Parts: sequence; C-alpha cells; structure tokens
Amino acid sequence: MVENLNKDPLDKIAYYPGCSLDSTAVDFNVSLKKLLDVLDVEHVEIDDWNCCGTTPAQNVSSELVLILSARNLFLAKNMGFTDILAPCISCYNKLYKAAYYLNSSSRLKNKKEEETREAIIAGLKDMGFTAEEELGFKVYSVMEFLYLKKDKIREKYNEFKSGGSSPSAGRDLLNRIDPVCYYGCALLRPDSAMRFDDIENPTSMEEILEEVDVRCRDFQFKTECCGAILSLTHKDAVLRLSNIILEGAVESKANCLIVFCQLCQQNLDLRQEQINRSFNKKYRLPVIYITQILGIALGLSPESVMIDKLFVGTEFIKNN
Amino acid sequence: MDKNPKKDSIAVKPDKVYSDIQRDIQKYIDPGIFNCYQCGKCTAGCPLADIFEYKPNQIIMLVQNGRIEDIINSNSIFLCLTCEICSSRCPQDVHIARIMNYIRNEAWKMGKVKIPSIKRFYKLFLKEVSITGKVYEPGLIAGLNLINGRLFNDMDLALKILGKRKIKILPDFVKQRKGISKAVDKYLK
Repeated sequence: MVENLNKDPLDKIAYYPGCSLDSTAVDFNVSLKKLLDVLDVEHVEIDDWNCCGTTPAQNVSSELVLILSARNLFLAKNMGFTDILAPCISCYNKLYKAAYYLNSSSRLKNKKEEETREAIIAGLKDMGFTAEEELGFKVYSVMEFLYLKKDKIREKYNEFKSGGSSPSAGRDLLNRIDPVCYYGCALLRPDSAMRFDDIENPTSMEEILEEVDVRCRDFQFKTECCGAILSLTHKDAVLRLSNIILEGAVESKANCLIVFCQLCQQNLDLRQEQINRSFNKKYRLPVIYITQILGIALGLSPESVMIDKLFVGTEFIKNN
Repeated sequence: MDKNPKKDSIAVKPDKVYSDIQRDIQKYIDPGIFNCYQCGKCTAGCPLADIFEYKPNQIIMLVQNGRIEDIINSNSIFLCLTCEICSSRCPQDVHIARIMNYIRNEAWKMGKVKIPSIKRFYKLFLKEVSITGKVYEPGLIAGLNLINGRLFNDMDLALKILGKRKIKILPDFVKQRKGISKAVDKYLK
C-alpha cells in the first residue's frame, strides 16, 4: 500500500483477541498488550469482532468457519488495517485461511477453492460487506510477530539493562527459571498456517528468549498435540496427551514450560492437578506465556503481566 | 415396468453420495492421494491413533478403495484433533488431515456424526455463536455438562477459574450480528 511505504507496517496493527483471550486467557491478553506497548507497537482492537468459529465450525463446514473469520478481516479493513495480529493460534489458523481465499482469486488452485471463495463472499454480503478482486490481508500469529520484532526486543532489553535498574522480583524469577519451550501442534500446520519455522524442531521461541538472556533446555515434545478442545468431550484422552508433554519436560530437567497457546496452557496448567490424580504424578510445573516472560525481561512487573493468574504458581520454581 | 422412470433416474442412490465424495477428494481435495505407499508414518505420529477405529493410513486406503461410508461410520473423523502431524510428516505429501476434514464436513451435512457427545458439543457451540456472535466459555461448559447429564464434571476446574477470577460474569454480544446467524443456522438443522 502506497501510503504505508515509509512506515514499518508492523508498528501499527489491528488486534483480534478472540473469545478465550477475553475470558479464561485474560493473562495472555493483558501480557501481550503490555508487551506490545513496550515494543512501541500500536495495537487497535477490531471493533465488534466475532468468534472465528474455531474447531467446531471448521469441522462442521470449512465454508462456515471461513465466513465467520472473514467478517473480522473486513472489520479490520474498515478501520484501515490489513495487518492483523491474532494471538490465539486457533483464530490465527482460521483468519489466515480466510485471507488466503480472499486475497486473490487468481491464486486459487481449483474449482472447489473458487466455490469456497464465492461462498465466503456471499456470506460477507449478508453481513453487509463487499469484497474486491484483490485484497491484501496479512494475518500474524504471536510467534511470527515476535520473531519479526526480535531486534526490537534485544534493543529494548539492552536499554532496560543499561538503565541501571535495581535487581527486581521479575529478574529474580527469570534467573530461577530453567524452561523448555512448548510450541504445540497448531503454529506450523502445513495446511492452515504459514510455516516460518521448522515443523519438527522449531527454534523461534528459544531464539527470541535468548535475546533476553533466558536459556531453554532441549525438549523432545515441542510440537506434540496436547489434545486441545477435545478436553470438553474426551477428557481422558487429553489428560493422557498432556501427561506425555509434562513427563517430557521433567525428563528434560526443566522446572517450567513456556507456551504461546492458551489451549495448551489450560490443558497443562489448569488440568495439571487432574493429570497428577489420573497418572499418580506429582508435577508442579508452571506453564508460563512467552509474553509474560518477555514482559518481565523488558522491565514489567510480574503482577502487571498477571503472573499470579497461573494455577501452578511460580513459587514452585526452585533453583535446580 | 417402471411407471415413473424419470423420477427414478434422478433419485440419488445412497452410494452415489459416497462415490461423489471419493471423486471430489481425488479431483480437488488431494489429487495425490494415490501416491500413498502405506508407510504408516501418519499413524505413527497421530496422537489419537490408538483410539481411532480406522488409523490415518487405513483411512487413505479406504478412500482409495471408495469405502467412504466405512470411514463415516467410524469414530476417527470426529475424534481427529486436526493437529495435521499426519500431513506434515507424509513423505509423499498426501494431505491426510485435509481429506479427513472434507469427509467430516460431508458427514455433518448428512447428519452422520458417529460420536453423539461431539455432535451435541458442536451444536451447542454454534448455537451460541448464532445467538451472540461470540463464545461465552462458562455458558458453553455449563450447557455441555447439562446436556451430557454430568453436572459436576470439571467442577474442580470451575472453582479454580472462579478463584483466579479468570472469568467474565456476563456474555458479550456482537452488535452487528446481521448475517452471522444466517451463516451459522444453515448448519444447525
């Protein structure tokens, strides 16, 4: 876009929180927004956004999930944005896919895809939006976005360090953590997401954390699925899958996990006691959002990034 | 003699539905489906293969052989977590997850959802989106417990969430819901 030529478009972005960040993942939401403020990124919440439809809508009809997701893209467009940050990885996948169908009709692969595009456009019309032939939506996941901001993170970190601030409770926490990074399954899905990192052994989280002097341990189960939304109907399966991940973290001798997906976070943190009961384990592993860790590293207080909202609290992190 | 041959000739025989699904998969969803040489890597990586009635590699073979009905009558497609490990690890680039999602969508259209609890969950979820435009998690979980007759399921978690105040007291409504319910309700019949 011509008017954006001289500006780094990533310094201003439309923000799509999604339903869970609005309630059970409020800590992710708040810590991310505060981190964006520190990184001088202007984030504007999409006005009157709706649910992307997530897994249920996708499993019922791929057209439906794309129509629901596309509405949010068009709301952003009406506010003058084509760059959209969708921190919830499920929302991200759906919005990303909707953008694929809408951005260019000439790039679609076959008749079925063209039909899908037509269906999305018809759905948008019912909502009062008209789609042009070419659109330029770009949807970012939180990891991709932070990765692009790596230099800025380093810069802000150095700034904070040289500011001569006294050792804080936050830095003390960062010194105590000995984490593994858990990516979950959804970021690097070949079908519905941009592959910006290795699919079997991604390292973007470790690289970003290294910028703020947090070193992470090797981890075998980085991209193993936690069971996700199946927790609502097949809890036993989810507890079993999440147990494998926590067990792997213990094997890696980590004392906490760092994540960026609120569904993984819930399954591993909120359900940790259920996992302990089901498998006769004694895990006490805090599952912390990367946005909380980065925020603290850049000078935010642990309270302000809502570290106290973790169910397994950071008091369980002992020096190894 | 058939008194009404015309009517008969346009009637869709039940197996036509299934052969159409197979045809569309081969034509549009993944033209490379016959590249599968049954190495089983997809099943080895699938987190839920052990509770799937048909494993991912078997599903590919069933599609190749036109046995779509067998797949729809199994629990596999609606248990699938769509983690896409199967597709990402396939050495032959077969899009197993995409194929399963297509069959799943068709199964929903036909009202054939093998797992009743999943069907109830999706319906409840979509109903909520249709009414409010968003999902209100506490309402969803309470509703789910209610229809499944397990009122106190995950009560320990509910108390924890309340204790941490990670909850909204009231659901939010999208202001301009025009078109949302129309899109959703089509799939709620």
